[in-house]
Parts: sequence; structure tokens; C-alpha cells
Amino acid sequence: MSPAPPHPPAAPRDSRRRFVAVAGTTGLVAGALGLLGALARSIVPDVLYEPPRRFPVGRPRDFPPGSVTLVAERRLFVFNTPEGFSVVSAVCTHLGCNVNHEPGKGFACPCHGSTFEEDGRVRTGPAAWPLPRFALALSRRGELVVDTRRTVGPDFRLKA
Amino acid sequence: MRTLGRRLWLSVFRVGWPRTRPQRLRAMLSSLVLHVHPTRVRAHVLRPSYTLGLGLVSFYLFVILTVTGLALMLYYVPHPAAAYRSMKDIEYAVTFGMFLRNAHRWAAHGMVAVVFLHMCRTFFTGAYKPPREFNWVVGVLLMLLTLALSFTGYLLPWDQLAFWAITVGTAIVAYFPVLGPQVRYLLLGGHEIGQAALLRFYVLHCLVLPLAMAFLVAVHFWRVRKDGGLSAPPDRLHRRVLAWPHLVFRELLVLVLVLVVVHATALLFDAPLEEIADATRTPNPAKAPWYFLGLQELVHYGAIFGGVVVPTGLVLALLALPYVDTHPRGVGVWFAPERRVANAVFAAIAVAVVAVTVVGTFFRGPNWAWVWPW
Repeated sequence: MSPAPPHPPAAPRDSRRRFVAVAGTTGLVAGALGLLGALARSIVPDVLYEPPRRFPVGRPRDFPPGSVTLVAERRLFVFNTPEGFSVVSAVCTHLGCNVNHEPGKGFACPCHGSTFEEDGRVRTGPAAWPLPRFALALSRRGELVVDTRRTVGPDFRLKA
Repeated sequence: MRTLGRRLWLSVFRVGWPRTRPQRLRAMLSSLVLHVHPTRVRAHVLRPSYTLGLGLVSFYLFVILTVTGLALMLYYVPHPAAAYRSMKDIEYAVTFGMFLRNAHRWAAHGMVAVVFLHMCRTFFTGAYKPPREFNWVVGVLLMLLTLALSFTGYLLPWDQLAFWAITVGTAIVAYFPVLGPQVRYLLLGGHEIGQAALLRFYVLHCLVLPLAMAFLVAVHFWRVRKDGGLSAPPDRLHRRVLAWPHLVFRELLVLVLVLVVVHATALLFDAPLEEIADATRTPNPAKAPWYFLGLQELVHYGAIFGGVVVPTGLVLALLALPYVDTHPRGVGVWFAPERRVANAVFAAIAVAVVAVTVVGTFFRGPNWAWVWPW
């Protein structure tokens, strides 16, 4: 029978234990947070391989006077009225379906039945917001250029 | 030779074919699969009319979905340029590919319906009351996971149905206050449904959500044991029978029935595949999968009301239910008279959910206008 080992003085041993516990917990929490933080940040994409937000849709003469033309691949309508050109989005502001143009009556959404006036204002819901009207400019090459990052008021017309 | 065979059997299963009572008890404890069960089980819960086997059927469908899904993964390519063609390959250039796809699709639809019915059964028998509150919560999460799995799987065929259903679904997400648009951006990996969105839905559908489901299923089963087995009325708590053979063979019988029904449906009906996804052309009417048509019908009355307020309210009410209604009476029997009010309220909500789903499915035509189905 060997005698029980003598206890070391209480204070240093307790503080050593506390140090190891605090350091260990800190390391564990910091490591886990770092890993999860990196993961969470990484799933937010920084580079998007999406079409540009500003693009040409054609020359003015491609849109006959008095016509309403659907540019399907850009999901918008080009109006050529006597006052000038204007562009209305074809994406329903309710839940993102493409609206159909009904000449003289405005737009109708096939998904949930919203209807809009020709200038984009809501006629009947459930859509709560008007179809946005996008800024339009004439490029140096004589093309109509739409900028979907900028919306304009209902009176906007481009003389071309 | 006989002896070698017997030694091999015993090395794997530890017990022979159980014939005596001690052997039957030991058999239940000696196998990984069987030990999920107790050795003896309440006679009350073995009556088919009590549980209708709905939880078990949900689990079997999940297993069938995992197996058929793995087979489909060998041919499916999650890229917009290839996804639709690989679906055509699965249908026409893979032996039994069409059958596997049909089985996967119909089992998925079946699982949504059966999980919903399982929840109704649990409610109408008062089985969510203490000590089973938390397992009800796990069950609600499992139902949400089932819907999320169905929704993410819906985009993968990359046909018109898929594309526009996900367009509508992710637009609803963006209506959620504060974080909605950011969550949609994360879900799609951008602003529109394209390559990034397809890959994200694919990873969620094939890996993240099934793993979460498997984990929660394990918790769900484990809690059934820890909460003292399935619920029963107080006077029937103590009559128990051996799990082998009474429980084990009933479970196998249900498995046979599920397999027969899935096979028959997959052989008789082909899963739909419309034209390839086209962002420039919205089909009219554009409809979500049937289990979201109730939601789409509500969204028709207002996106915030139908897409956010009602579904969030329902889920929160379901999660809170077992902590609000803790009265221990009426457990273990269908439609207990002491629970008349609770049963009436739940039945009214369940009927309303079914009703808006039926309206959205059969009574809505082009531009979401009212049509008569006949």
C-alpha cells in the first residue's frame, strides 16, 4: 500500500484547470464559428453568370409605329407610340410569371390572374405593384438600349 | 455443409429462427434492424384501425424514394443544358428507367399525402399529449422536410412545369419580411432560375434534405420508444404481446402492400414530362405541384396573406399545439368525446386545406379564372 499522493496546494491547480477549460472552450467555439462562418459566407455567390442588366433590344425601325413588341428573351415589351418609345417589364410583380399583352386591354398574368393597364399600372390584383417601366436610351450605334436597373415614370418616352 | 451454413447464420444473427419465447425476446435484441422495436408491444397499437399504419407507410415510401432516387442519380445531369435530355434518356434509353422515375414520382406524391394523414391520425387520437409533445414537433418538422424535398425535386426535370412552379414558389419566399429576398437569392444562387439554382436544388434534394430527414426519422423513432411506445388509453396500457411475431410480421405485411401499390401505380401511370423549360413562355395556367395548389389558390387572394401569413400561422400553430393543449384526457382513442372542440377545430382546418387544394387543382383555368372541371 503506497500512501496517497499529497494534494498540491488548491489555488494553482484550480487556476490551471480553469485556464485549460477557458482556453479549450474558446478554441472550440472559435473554431466552430470560423468554420460555419466561412461556410455561410461561401454559399453567397460573388460572381453571377447572368445576362447583363443593360442591353440593346434593336433599332428603332425594328418596331413599327403604333406597335407593341414582346422581346421574349429579355422578358419586356417595347411600345412605339406617336409620343415615342417606352419599355414595360413582362415579369408580373406578383410572383414572377410572364404577363401576356392583350391589345387595347393591357396585360394579364396567367398564373394568378393579375391584370395591368397598358402603362403598367395595376388594374386588378393580386399584384400589389405596377409593372416597372425601364429607362431607355439611344446608343451611338443607333440601337435602343434598355437599363433594367433604372425605372422611369409613366410619362417617360424616348423620341427616336 | 449444414453445420457451416448454421455457423454462418449464427455468426450474423446470433440466434436461430426464433421459436420459443426466450428466443423471440432475444431475436428482437440481437439485430440492428429489429432492436429498434421493443421486445413486447402493446396489443392496442397493433390493431390496424388504430394507427392505420400511416407512419410506417411514410417511412417505407421514404426508403423507396431513397433507393429509386439513387438509381436515377446515375443518369441525371444537373445542368440546364443537359438536365432535360438526361430525363429523356431515363425515360427512353435506360431499361426500366421510366419505371424507376414513375415509382419515384408517385411515391413522392404518396408520401406527401400519407404524412399529412399520419398527422391527422396523431391529432384525432390525441397522441401528441404529454409525454409526446416533442415527438409531435419532430413530426411537424418531418412534414416540412417532406414538402421541401418534393419542392426541390420538382425543379430537376427542367421542363415547363418544373420551371414555372419554382418561379412561383421562390417568388413567394421573397415576400417574407426582412430576409425574404436574401433567402431567395441564396436559394437560387442569383437573381434568376438558371444553372446555379438547378445545382443548389439538386444538392438540397439529393444530399442535404435526405440526410436531415434520416436524422429526424431516427429521432422520431427513438422518441416513440423513450415516450413509452405508441399512445393507448389508460385501461389498455398494460396488455402486451411479443413483438416477434406480432409486430414484425404486421410490418412486413404493410411493406408488401406498399410495394404492390407503388409497383402497380408506376406500371400503370407515367410521370408527366412537359416541354423543356422556357423562361420566355409562361404556360397558361401555370400551376404548382398539387400539394402547393392550395397555397397558390391563397396566393391568388394576396401574396402576403396567402404566401406568408396563412402558412406561417399554420406551422406555428402546429408547433405550439402540444404545449398549449396539455390536458391528458382522450388519449389513445379516435375522436374522443372529451376532445370534441379540439377535434372540430382541427377537422375544420384540415378540410379547409383540402378544399383550397381541390379548388386550385380542378377549378382554376387560364389566367387563374374559375372553371368547372366537368
